[in-house]
Amino acid sequence: MDDVIIIGGGPAGSTLGSYLSMAGIKNIIFESSIHPRPHVGESMVTSTTRIFKEIGFLEVMEREGFARKFGAAWHAPNGREFAIEFGEFPQPGIDQEYTYHVDRSKLDLLLLKHAEMLGTKVYQGIHVKQVLFDGSRATGVRVNLNGKEIDLEAKLVVDASGRNTLLGNQLKMKVKDPIFNQYAVHAWFEDLDRGSGRSADFIHIYFLEIERGWVWQIPITDEITSVGVVADRNVIREAQLDLEGYFNKYIVTNPGLAHAMRNARRINDFKTEGDYSYSLAKFVGDGFLCVGDAARFVDPIFSSGVSVALYSAKYAAERIRLALEQGDFSEAMLKPYEERLRGGVGVWYEFIRLYYKLLPLFTHFIQSKQHRIEVLRLLQGEVYDRKDVPVLDAMREYIRRVEQSDDHLLRESLTSIPID
Amino acid sequence: MDRKSHLTDFVKNEIMRNSNANLDPDADLLGAGILDSLGILQLVAFIEKAFNISVPDEDVIYDNFMSVNTLVNYLQQF
Repeated sequence: MDDVIIIGGGPAGSTLGSYLSMAGIKNIIFESSIHPRPHVGESMVTSTTRIFKEIGFLEVMEREGFARKFGAAWHAPNGREFAIEFGEFPQPGIDQEYTYHVDRSKLDLLLLKHAEMLGTKVYQGIHVKQVLFDGSRATGVRVNLNGKEIDLEAKLVVDASGRNTLLGNQLKMKVKDPIFNQYAVHAWFEDLDRGSGRSADFIHIYFLEIERGWVWQIPITDEITSVGVVADRNVIREAQLDLEGYFNKYIVTNPGLAHAMRNARRINDFKTEGDYSYSLAKFVGDGFLCVGDAARFVDPIFSSGVSVALYSAKYAAERIRLALEQGDFSEAMLKPYEERLRGGVGVWYEFIRLYYKLLPLFTHFIQSKQHRIEVLRLLQGEVYDRKDVPVLDAMREYIRRVEQSDDHLLRESLTSIPID
Repeated sequence: MDRKSHLTDFVKNEIMRNSNANLDPDADLLGAGILDSLGILQLVAFIEKAFNISVPDEDVIYDNFMSVNTLVNYLQQF
């Protein structure tokens, strides 16, 4: 019997497999597709470097020549642009001033292979039908093997099934976010003009003049750039256009983006991502844990997804190790993992909420001497194990003052998002 | 250079993005659509940096930010 069965071989599952194998814990990954397979979420934050280093994967990132991401730039609808560079805020344990933009089919394959190299047993093309329970305790999984159903046991089951949220669905504990119902339409392009100079290979975010509307521009290779239009689901419903019509309609509304895209040629089909944000009511139970997108997903505006997957894997591995040492697989034993992850993702979520509540405030804070470094700290993924986050308190306080003052110039920019 | 010229240059170069623009110091920047919400905060950041004045959040109101001249008047208290 394996100690741990991991459902899903995306970044969360593979990173967890890597940590467990390094700790000498027997683990097995069942991945339903066969890598490489396409996936959205192509930009990362710098804190991921720490995890790559710990599992010995950073040299793979370097060797494979992924596009280096040194910063981020934002473009207002009127054409103004401002940018940050990660070098301005050095992070402990990280000695490079960049993170990466990635072709996820390639990254996810390499990570899975890395886990395998470290000792994780990896089975691809195997669909996990359900998690098996004895009362409230997870005992294993039922997989579909060439049309035959086979039950496998383990001391712990980890759901790393991503947005499929296998356990979330099975146990009906997936809670849809009451605010964010974003929808993305995206594709890859060639001959997109990224400009020249330092910001050419940054991630570029273009604001659209629709509520919560924005566009990402992410370099994948020297030639290929990923572009995605994100907006509230109702926007595309109301537009009643085909994907291409929808995409093109909004691309031209930001002058900086229209310029970058003027000669761009699409090289693959438009893809869509819907039902954006959610959280499971709990991330752990007797005999099971959920990691990465299988536990919680927040709006992708700050490229937080892969880092959440990686850190959840790290923290889950620490707790699993302890559980195995003590032979205790109860919910109470695993709970500290949930609390740690919830705390970190909660900071991301709060940051995202305040960002959308009053868009100009973010640009203001990032340009202010007082707040800039603290905003960078968040943007670079330092969200875990923090008791308080004063910069978020300051944003909330600013918003409160705008709400209370009848003649404040930013009143019109407040959106309907509740912040209390 | 005095504050008024600094502010005028900033609005022309960074907000209007046209250094040859004609900017009347009494022109209603908000009414004329020259200053939007992002521009206002850009101006606040500029004032902080250029004059070392921290503009209190509650002072970001129409009366203070209407024109270059109202802004210069407002800043005299610092």
